[in-house]
Amino acid sequence: MGQKGSKERTTGIIAAIVVVVLAALPLIGAPESWLLYLLLFLIYFAMANMWNLLAGYAGLISLCQPAFLGLAGYAMTVGTWVGVPWWIGLPGGALVAALFALVISVAVFRLSGVYFAIGTLVVPEALRMVFYLWRPVGGKMQGAGAGYMVKGIGGLSSQGIYWLALLVAIGSVLLLRGILKSRLGLGLAAIRDNERCAASSGVNVFRLKLYTFVIAAAITGLAGAVYYLYQGYIEPSATFNVKWTMTILLATVIGGIRTEGGPMVGTVVVVFLYFLLARYAGYSLLIQGIILIFIMLLSPQGLVGLARRIAAHPRTRWIMISVRTGRAP
Amino acid sequence: MGMGSGDVITPLIIGIMLGGLYALIALGLSLIFGVMRLINLAHGDLVILSSYIAYALLTYLGLDPVLGLVISIPFMFVLGFVIQRYLLGKGFAVSSETPLIIAFGISLVLQNLNQILWTPLSRGLNTSYSRMSFFVGERQFPVSYLLDFVAGIVVMLALRAFLTKTYMGRAITAASQDKRAAQLMGINTNRVYGYAFAIAMGSAAVAGTFLGMTFPFTPTSGISFLTIAFGTVVIGGLGSMLGTFFGGIILGVFQTMGGYLFGPASQMLIVYVLVLLILAIRPKGLFGR
Repeated sequence: MGQKGSKERTTGIIAAIVVVVLAALPLIGAPESWLLYLLLFLIYFAMANMWNLLAGYAGLISLCQPAFLGLAGYAMTVGTWVGVPWWIGLPGGALVAALFALVISVAVFRLSGVYFAIGTLVVPEALRMVFYLWRPVGGKMQGAGAGYMVKGIGGLSSQGIYWLALLVAIGSVLLLRGILKSRLGLGLAAIRDNERCAASSGVNVFRLKLYTFVIAAAITGLAGAVYYLYQGYIEPSATFNVKWTMTILLATVIGGIRTEGGPMVGTVVVVFLYFLLARYAGYSLLIQGIILIFIMLLSPQGLVGLARRIAAHPRTRWIMISVRTGRAP
Repeated sequence: MGMGSGDVITPLIIGIMLGGLYALIALGLSLIFGVMRLINLAHGDLVILSSYIAYALLTYLGLDPVLGLVISIPFMFVLGFVIQRYLLGKGFAVSSETPLIIAFGISLVLQNLNQILWTPLSRGLNTSYSRMSFFVGERQFPVSYLLDFVAGIVVMLALRAFLTKTYMGRAITAASQDKRAAQLMGINTNRVYGYAFAIAMGSAAVAGTFLGMTFPFTPTSGISFLTIAFGTVVIGGLGSMLGTFFGGIILGVFQTMGGYLFGPASQMLIVYVLVLLILAIRPKGLFGR
C-alpha cells in the first residue's frame, strides 16, 4: 500500500510538472508551430481518452465520434452567427453532442458487438449529407459546401485556445480517473469481465453503457468545439470524416487500449509522426496503419502493454533493476 | 444519375440495375461475416484496389477490364488468403475486437497506398461499350448498369452454387454454422477461413472492375462503398447470399426513388436513414434468420 501510494504520488508530481510546463510554453515564447502540434496533441488526447473509455472499458466500439465533435463544432460555430458567444457555444456544443448521443442510442444500443460498430459508422456519413443539404442560418453559401466561418471570438488569442485545449485534456484525464474509481467504473469492470454475470448481480448494463456513451460524446464534442474555434471554419466533408475516427482509434490502440496511460503515449506517437512526415501526409497514415496492424498482432495492449511485459519479464526485469541501482548485471 | 425523363419507371429500373452493383460489392462482405463473424472494415478499400488494378491493366497493357479479371481475380484471391492467414487469423486468437481493428489498419494502408500510387485524382474505366446506352421502349439506360446487374446475378449464383455443391463450400458453410462441430468432423477451420476470405476477395475483384466502369473512383472512395455494402447486408441480412442480392436491389431502388422524389442531393441520406431504421427495428435484416 505504501509503495503504491508513493508511486501514485510520483506520477502525480510528474503530471503536475508536465501540466505547468505545457501551460507556460506560450508565455516563454515557444514557436507558433510547436504550439500548433501541442494543440492538436491535446485535442486528440482528450478524444482518445474518451474512446478508450468507450471501447476499452465499456466494450463499445464506437465509430461515430466525428458525429459528436462535428455537431458540437457546428453548434458552436452557428451559435456565433446568431449572437451566442463562443464561451457559451463550447459547453452548448458539448450538450448538443450529448443529446445527440442520447437520441441515436435508441437505434444503436439495440445492436451489440459488430452491429454496434456498423450502426455507428453510418451515423457520420448521414450527418455529412444533412449538413450538405441543410443550412441552419445565413442564406448564401460561403466557400465550398455548407461551410461556416466562426464569427467573432471576442479577443480570444491562439494562446487562449491552446489553454482551453489544455483544460479540456486535463479534464478528460480527471474525468476518466473519476469514472473508473466510481460505481460506474466498478460496474463497467464487472460488465467487461462477464456481462451476463454482472447483469444477474444487479448491474444495469444498458444504463451504465448509455451513461458512458453520453459522457464520452459530451467531452469529445467539447474537444471538437475547441478544435473548430482554433480552425475558425467548419464544413461537412472534413468534419464528418472517417479520418477523425482513424486518428482517435490509432492513438488509443497504438498506446494501449484499456490502459490508463495508453491514449497519452499513442497520441504522442501519432502527433509526432504527423509532425515528422508533415510534407508526406499519405506516408504518415500509411506508416500509422502498418504500426496499428503490427501492434495489434504483437502487443494487443499497445506500447504501454509492451513496456509492462518487458518490465515483468524475469530477465529484462533483472537488467532494469541493475540499471536502476547502477550495478552491473 | 442520368434520369432525363420525368416518369417513375426510369428511376425504378435504374435502381434495380444499380442494386445489382451494390449486391456485387456486398457479397464478399456478407460471406466473410457469415463465415467468421467479422465486419471487414477494409472491404471497400479492397474493392477500390481492384478498380485500380483494372485501371492499371487497361492503361498500361490496354487490357479490357472484363478480360483483366483473368489477372485480378487470382491476384485478389491470393491477397485475401494471405490477409486472412497472416493478419486477421492471428488477430482472432487475441480477442474478438482485434480483427476489426486490424481490418481498420488494412483499410488505412490500402487507402494511402492507392493515394501514393495513383494520386488522389478521380479515375474511371472507360471502354467503348461502358459508355453506350440501350433502349427499353423510349427509355434510355447506360449499358454499364446492365452489366452491373448481370455481374451481380452471376456472382451471386456462382457463390451459392459453390457454397452448396462443392466440398470446400460445404466446409465453409459448416464452419459458419458451428465452428466446433465442424472441427470435430475433421474440417480444418483455419484453412476454410482462408479460402472463404480468398473467395470473398475474388468477388471483390469483380465488384471493383464493374464499379470502375460505372462510377469514377478515388483512393478514398472505399468508405462510401463500404457504407453502401453495409447498408446492403443490413437490409438483406448478413451472411445470406440471396438476401444480400435482394438487399442490394432494395437499397438501389430506395436511392433512385428517393432521388426522384426529393432531389438527387438527398438520395444517399435517404439510404442511410433507411439503414439506421432497419438496424433499430430489425438488426438481423429483412431476410435474416
